Amino acid sequence: MDNIANSYFLLAAILFCVGLYGALSKRNAVIVLLSVELMLNAVNLNLIAFAKYGPVPSITGQIFSLFTITVAAAEAAIGIAILIALYRNKGTTDVLEMNAMKK
Amino acid sequence: MLDNIPILTLLTFSPLLGIIAVLLIPKEMGHWLKTAAIVSTLVSLVLAGWMFIGLDHDLEGMQYEEKATWIEIALNQEAPNLNAAEKLIYQFNYSLGADGLSGALAFLTALISSMAAFASVHIKKRWKTFYLWFLILQIGMFGVFLSRDLFLFFLFFEATLIPMFFLIGIWGFSDREKAANKFLIYNGIGSAIMLIAFLMLINTAGFSTPQEDPTQPLQLIYSGDVGTIYQNLQDPGSYANVHHDRVGTANPFYMGLAMKEWIFLMLLIAFGIKLPIFPFHTWMLKVHIEAPPSVVMIHSGILLKMGAYGLLRFGVELLPEQAQTFALLIGIVGVVNILYGAVLALVQKEFRLILAYSSISHMGIVLLGIAALNVTGLQGAAFQLVSHGLISALLFLIVGSIIERTNTTELNRLGGLAKAMPFMSGMLLVGGLASLGLPGMSGFVSEFLAFLGLFETMPVLAIVGALGIIITAVYVLRGVLAITYGQLPEKFQEDGTVLRDARLTEAIPMIVLTAFIVLLGIYPSVLSEPLHHALSSMLARIGG
Amino acid sequence: MEFTHYAWLIPVFPLLAFLVLTALGRQMKGIATGFSILAAAAAFIMAVLVFTERLGENVVDYTWDGFKWIGIGDFAIQMGYEVNNLNTLMLVIVTLVSLLVNVYSLGYMKDDERINTFFAYVSLFTFSMLGLVLSINLVQFFIFWELVGVCSFLLVGFWYTKPAARAAAKKAFIVTRIGDVGLFIGMLLLFWNMPGNSLEFSAIHNAAHTGALSANVITAAAILVFIGAVGKSGQFPLHTWLPDAMEGPTPISALIHAATMVAAGVYLVARTFPLFEESQAALTTVAIVGGFTAIFAATIALAQNDIKRILAYSTVSQLGYMMLAMGIGTMSSYTAGMFHLYTHAFFKALLFLGAGSVIHAVNEQDIRKMGGLGSKMKITMITFAIGTLALSGIVPFAGFWSKDAILTEAYHNVPVLFWVALVAAFFTALYMARLFFLVFTGKPRSDMHPHESPAVMTLPLLVLAVLAIIAGFVYFPGNAWFGEWLLGESPGEHADMTVMILSTVAGVGGLLIGWLLYGRRTFTEDWVEARALPAYQLLNRKYYIDELYDNGVVKPLRGIGYLLDWFDRYIVDGAVKVLSGVMTGTGRIGLRMQNGQLQAYGLIGVVGLLILIVAVVGRRYFHVG
Repeated sequence: MDNIANSYFLLAAILFCVGLYGALSKRNAVIVLLSVELMLNAVNLNLIAFAKYGPVPSITGQIFSLFTITVAAAEAAIGIAILIALYRNKGTTDVLEMNAMKK
Repeated sequence: MLDNIPILTLLTFSPLLGIIAVLLIPKEMGHWLKTAAIVSTLVSLVLAGWMFIGLDHDLEGMQYEEKATWIEIALNQEAPNLNAAEKLIYQFNYSLGADGLSGALAFLTALISSMAAFASVHIKKRWKTFYLWFLILQIGMFGVFLSRDLFLFFLFFEATLIPMFFLIGIWGFSDREKAANKFLIYNGIGSAIMLIAFLMLINTAGFSTPQEDPTQPLQLIYSGDVGTIYQNLQDPGSYANVHHDRVGTANPFYMGLAMKEWIFLMLLIAFGIKLPIFPFHTWMLKVHIEAPPSVVMIHSGILLKMGAYGLLRFGVELLPEQAQTFALLIGIVGVVNILYGAVLALVQKEFRLILAYSSISHMGIVLLGIAALNVTGLQGAAFQLVSHGLISALLFLIVGSIIERTNTTELNRLGGLAKAMPFMSGMLLVGGLASLGLPGMSGFVSEFLAFLGLFETMPVLAIVGALGIIITAVYVLRGVLAITYGQLPEKFQEDGTVLRDARLTEAIPMIVLTAFIVLLGIYPSVLSEPLHHALSSMLARIGG
Repeated sequence: MEFTHYAWLIPVFPLLAFLVLTALGRQMKGIATGFSILAAAAAFIMAVLVFTERLGENVVDYTWDGFKWIGIGDFAIQMGYEVNNLNTLMLVIVTLVSLLVNVYSLGYMKDDERINTFFAYVSLFTFSMLGLVLSINLVQFFIFWELVGVCSFLLVGFWYTKPAARAAAKKAFIVTRIGDVGLFIGMLLLFWNMPGNSLEFSAIHNAAHTGALSANVITAAAILVFIGAVGKSGQFPLHTWLPDAMEGPTPISALIHAATMVAAGVYLVARTFPLFEESQAALTTVAIVGGFTAIFAATIALAQNDIKRILAYSTVSQLGYMMLAMGIGTMSSYTAGMFHLYTHAFFKALLFLGAGSVIHAVNEQDIRKMGGLGSKMKITMITFAIGTLALSGIVPFAGFWSKDAILTEAYHNVPVLFWVALVAAFFTALYMARLFFLVFTGKPRSDMHPHESPAVMTLPLLVLAVLAIIAGFVYFPGNAWFGEWLLGESPGEHADMTVMILSTVAGVGGLLIGWLLYGRRTFTEDWVEARALPAYQLLNRKYYIDELYDNGVVKPLRGIGYLLDWFDRYIVDGAVKVLSGVMTGTGRIGLRMQNGQLQAYGLIGVVGLLILIVAVVGRRYFHVG
């Protein structure tokens, strides 16, 4: 694999880490959701990079990234819907308040 | 006469009769429930007596054997030496058998259970559930003493834990839940250790190739059959090379010395918790105080004996050489038990605690008898099992009646009961005297035999242990006299009606138990004759 | 008819009485006591029949051992009975005293509501004692030995509502049990060393003489057996229970704690005498313990004020005499010991029953509060006087001959012990004089209305008084019949004029001084108490032995008990609690991680993933495993 692929991977890794950091540390649920999107996109980047420059280049990776994008869209929609429902209930988007799983 | 009917199965599952009856009777009809349970235990008692009397005293080995294959689990045939075999399986059998030792203990179980059923008249709530658990417990106890398969033994052993847990936890005194928990946890740990030891035994010494006919496909079996394991341990080559033209000369059964020692130690701890040996004894103190007296009768009278029985049956009988290795340890633990229990009993202020510590002390005598590793000592141990079972049942029977009347067994709140309840006080005194080993009663015979046996092999330990006899006298008399002698407390002097002497349903079991205690003391041959072969075969391998 | 072969009937009679009384006692109010007396009488008649049969020429010992008690491995312990001259003598003594005490109790216990229980216990005791006497081996002996102990316990604590009775009963049982453990261990020792694991007395005799037992075993066994005897016979240092046992009804003191059970220790030594004969160390121990107890208890008796306690210490002292005789170790001293046992049974029972008669009359046991009872209680006084003379060793009463026989043996064999015994004899006479004069002469020192006891009580007194006079004539200088009969051979010369004179001087001197101190003048204060206060205190408090045991043994043991109780509660159970605490603690930490925050879960997941990666990658680079 050459340098071009490496820079794709580096970008994806940075993107993923930024997303992970955001998902784990931000208190606003909207930002958390956005961060999750960032991570998903990092994955997409990886998929496409491997599809092009991987040891066995094929179309599968690109198809898969399309899948991911649609699933991510659906997921974002559901996530925001839950968030709105929660906001209506609790009046906040602070994730620290959302510990219903403990109960 | 008894050859044609499966007497042991009938005996073991005879409480089912009572269970069905109790299930059919509506729960409000307490009187009928009691009657049904008592009748059921009496049926068991008759069967057990029949079985015990029918034992042939001149026969070695098990009698009335019953065997049926129960569970078979196929195994991978990966062992390179064994690929000639058609079948490689785990086999667990339903197999029962009785010799003098287990027969005697099964009879003791039946006897004490029915006496405890009489004593359960003091139970005040939820009779139906109580008797259901009670009878299930009885099945478990019979099974423990009669099963001849490690797996089956383990099942029955566990089957006693659950009913006991509920019997303590529901019908006990104020701190009953805690007591039940403690009971379950300790015994659970003991069972876990026992299970590991059993699995090791099954997977090594449980190996056999049963078919002798060379034209048939070869079967290789691992089973928990005690007879197989005994034979394998006695002569490691006995099964392995029956078919050596097909199996080769490889011996799939091998057990190193260290492994045998570990197994023995594990069994010692597992059954030691039940026995109980110091320092695993604290759970049974709690049970003695918190459980209802009729349950303690069973607990102290039989359940503790299961520990000693297991130690004898699986520890000493299967691994006598290792028993010899650890004899000194067992002896020391025994002496510690005797003295520790006795000294602690000396300072207790609650009569039930005195009895609890006295149980520890008396179980020490069992250990001494086992440590002696001669027929005399083992007889002492076996006698002590039966004798202590009877005596502690008697004492707790009386304790139950006293609690019902006075609501307490604390020594400084009682006194002078001999005045108000002469019969019961007399019985308490008889029980106490039996407990301290008065000749003419069963306790003396066991003490005498155990110490006699131990004196041959470890005289110093025997002498130190014998000092416990003195302390026993001190604490028994202290407890019994504080309750029966002296003046009645003022509380009872004003209202004498509370203290009525024993009712007929209380008096009958007291008299029956006393009669057995005295019978064993005056004519111990009734027990020593059946025991003779059972015990001497245990020691055959070490020439004891 | 061979009565000897039916000797087993003798204990069976009282056993039957006991069973009947226990089972039906409450239903048969009036006749229950009669049942017990009848049984005792039947036993006595049977014993006399056996005895007369054994007086004949060429009688052989008879043994029956057909009852297989228990089989142990390849051998068995048999039970049965044995009749020889030694235990025939005991049979007669026991049944006779038992019969008399039975009759006496009819009067003494008349008003007690538990009189049936009392008679049941007495019957049980008589049975056990007779069983003990007839035993053929040590195990059987030990069984009955313990049974008499428990009867003693029951009867001492008969008035169970009294705290003192409860304490005394407990003490009686426990202190004798200490001795019993010695006997128990001795039994174990003998069992494994005897040829054929036989514990029969006859086998022990043979083994001791034929050298089948090593010298060390013999010494150890003899001393262990003797420890048992020390406990039962109230020898120093296990004597403390016997005076306390006086809390029991007085007839019991006469039967158990004077005539029969306490003598069982001496009988045990006599029964296993061959062991002692073969071991000089054991003999010396016996002799020293006996001699010391004799003088030790006699001095204590000087300063006691309870009429029964004085007699109790006197019993201890006299038992010491018997042990002393046994310890000298010759056949003639053995005879002397048994002879003293036999005479002592009568006159001591007499004294106790007399004391009982006094207590019955005045309801008081403190001799300082009595006085002048003689005028109201003629029969009691006269019979008591006879008992006193016999105990003091005055010619020609029974005690003189037996004590003289012991003194003679001591004089010839162990002169030191002779002087000890002689001084003890002097003290004996002195305290008996004090007792007699304080109770029966002078003026009453408190308000009391004595009356003579009924005939059922005085009759036994008279019988015993006669025996106290004549019982000694079977064995005195020039007449060795008793010794020959007992041993089957001549015991040798047993008379010495010097000893007779000295012992008479001691006896008469003691009585005389006692009369001077307590009889001649009107008693106002104890002369000894007033003039030798520290010594008096020491004696009155029994050399502080009880306090010593209490502080030296009982309290430390209880202390250990409390210590172990603490240990059990906080260390043993505590260890378990710590273990379960660790478990719940771990669980709590795990619980805290589950705080419901998704982000926390995510973080933990990431950290875990990182650890995994580091582990996998690290393994590749560092070649671990």
